[in-house]
Amino acid sequence: MTRRRTVVAVAATVGVLAAPTWLWQASLLPSSYAATDMGYVDDGRAAPGSGSGSGSGSAPPGAVHDHTAPGGGSRSVEQLTAPADRSADVTVELVVREETITLADGTSVEGYTVNGASPGPVIRAREGDLVEARLVNESVPDGATLHWHGIDVPNAADGVAGVTQDAVPPGGTFTYRFVADRPGTYWYHAHQMSHEQVRRGLLGALVVEPAAPSAQPADDVVALVHLYDGVRTVNGSPGDTHVDAAPGADVRVRVINSDNASVQVWVDGAPFRLTAIDGTDVHEPGLVEGRSVEVTAGGRADLVVTTPADGSGARVELGGTAAVVLGPPGAAPPAARPPRDRVDPLSYGTPAPLGFDPAAATRTFEYRVGRRPGFLDGRPGMWWTVNGHLYPDVPMFMVTEGDVVRVAISNGTGAVHPMHLHGHHAVVLSRDGVAATGSPWVVDSLDVGVGESYEIAFVADNPGIWMDHCHNLPHAAEGLVAHLMYEGVTTPFRLGGDNRPE
Amino acid sequence: MRSVYKVLAALIAIEVAIQAAVMVYAIAGLGLYIEGGGVLDAAAVESGETLFPELIGLILHGLNGMFVIPALALVLLIVSFFAKVPGGVRMAAVVLGLVVLQVLLGMFLHGMSWLGLLHGLNALALFGTAVVAARRVPRADVPVEQRTRQSALT
Ligand SMILES: [Cu+2]
Repeated sequence: MTRRRTVVAVAATVGVLAAPTWLWQASLLPSSYAATDMGYVDDGRAAPGSGSGSGSGSAPPGAVHDHTAPGGGSRSVEQLTAPADRSADVTVELVVREETITLADGTSVEGYTVNGASPGPVIRAREGDLVEARLVNESVPDGATLHWHGIDVPNAADGVAGVTQDAVPPGGTFTYRFVADRPGTYWYHAHQMSHEQVRRGLLGALVVEPAAPSAQPADDVVALVHLYDGVRTVNGSPGDTHVDAAPGADVRVRVINSDNASVQVWVDGAPFRLTAIDGTDVHEPGLVEGRSVEVTAGGRADLVVTTPADGSGARVELGGTAAVVLGPPGAAPPAARPPRDRVDPLSYGTPAPLGFDPAAATRTFEYRVGRRPGFLDGRPGMWWTVNGHLYPDVPMFMVTEGDVVRVAISNGTGAVHPMHLHGHHAVVLSRDGVAATGSPWVVDSLDVGVGESYEIAFVADNPGIWMDHCHNLPHAAEGLVAHLMYEGVTTPFRLGGDNRPE
Repeated sequence: MRSVYKVLAALIAIEVAIQAAVMVYAIAGLGLYIEGGGVLDAAAVESGETLFPELIGLILHGLNGMFVIPALALVLLIVSFFAKVPGGVRMAAVVLGLVVLQVLLGMFLHGMSWLGLLHGLNALALFGTAVVAARRVPRADVPVEQRTRQSALT
């Protein structure tokens, strides 16, 4: 009797523990694996309505897929470079170190610096310039890389550890070469251990000025917003940052959000125009008053502010805890309440040609963000899912050069996800089924709110292996990462080991 | 085994009480922070920094709720298979079920705030069930004595 009872109890215990143990075992990642070997192929050719992303399920990392293009010939990401025979127009050396950062108010924070400061130097290039940046890792122990956020660089220069290069160890160097072909506001940051290195300061701004400078206001201010130990700063300065501007002058303020969630930006004392989003000009931007602009994590917004003619100045509020004050010396415009209404880029500005036809899409993907309990590399927790799959069993969105691609992004979780696609800019077609009516809203970083769904489209014109991930960087480390992959492109680099891009 | 069952069930009840306590502690701290001129926005919340000391309450709530309590409930169920507590397996299964429900409510209330009402009420149900489960174990049960009696029989 007792023995039988014990047997039943042991059997029940095994039954209760079997599923978690199996799931735990199955979630363990190999010590290293290629981005092209993780997850499953989603070719985006599923019949309309049946939904893409219904890939065959659970190929563990290490499974072999054939990525050879129909025409034969495969290319390595290392071959996807800027023209080797062209000499650089802008050359910069960026030395990264682990050290104490001294903020403008004298506060010190432990973190990472670029050329001795955080944020690092503002790199300025002119449209069409070939930029050559040499990264020197002096003392970042986990290794470092630089990713050029928002610039559609050739794949070899994308800076993703384990996908387009190996993390640069202390003492090592790596040279990035790319053509800055689109004028606008960008930034660079670490893409090795990025959830830790970006937060702790391994970043800086990059501005590409248009080839025809007459189109620009003369006054041009970079406002890189970053939280150091919870203290909001603009270009490393907490609180108010004064910028001299004549009364009645047009000032372009380039807001860069380097944090993990969106920042509200509004202007007290003057109207403004939102002239560019993520480095793309807004077509015929209207005058904004009493509304704020939401800048996505990783995203940028250019505001052109006309300072008041009476010399009273204007405050560009960055989340309400830091500001850029524009005006003559001594101008102290009062802070107002944050506006309730926001500029909605879906209907802001006026329509203009997109340059391609999203209706003629040749690939259609679904990127459905979810969350469920499970194991990620053996760690139990609540993890993000892509189309119902936990990392690394996530879709590989396969494309061929020249494809017109549509992606339906939806968020079924309780958190906002600022989704960032490397190497491409996508136009927003609709949100929650409502079509865009304003200027083409072109993004590289798109906030997908709780319960929201977006449809975006882009042309696959930049071959390579491109991360498509959440720029709330801890979320990426929790598995919210997929890849856009061109057929026939391979990588010699491996994830795992010393390469941890998230 | 019976006393293990009792201790585990009691621990779950205590943990639920701690969950309520740390949550109110964190909310009180948040109030103080804002009264003192502190500003919170999405980026600050997601920065991972301890903006005010009571924030530890939120972190503890998350760790307890997602890991410690589910683990205790799972172990309680396993122990219930061996401990001959009258109705013990059923009670342990109900506790585990309520814990799972509580975790799900906690996750989804970030999208639908009204689920927070159910999360609060379900906490009371879970607390009550855990207390009842603990009290199912007869008081007279002293494991050492029982073992001696059993060995005397053989
Ligand atoms: Cu996210």
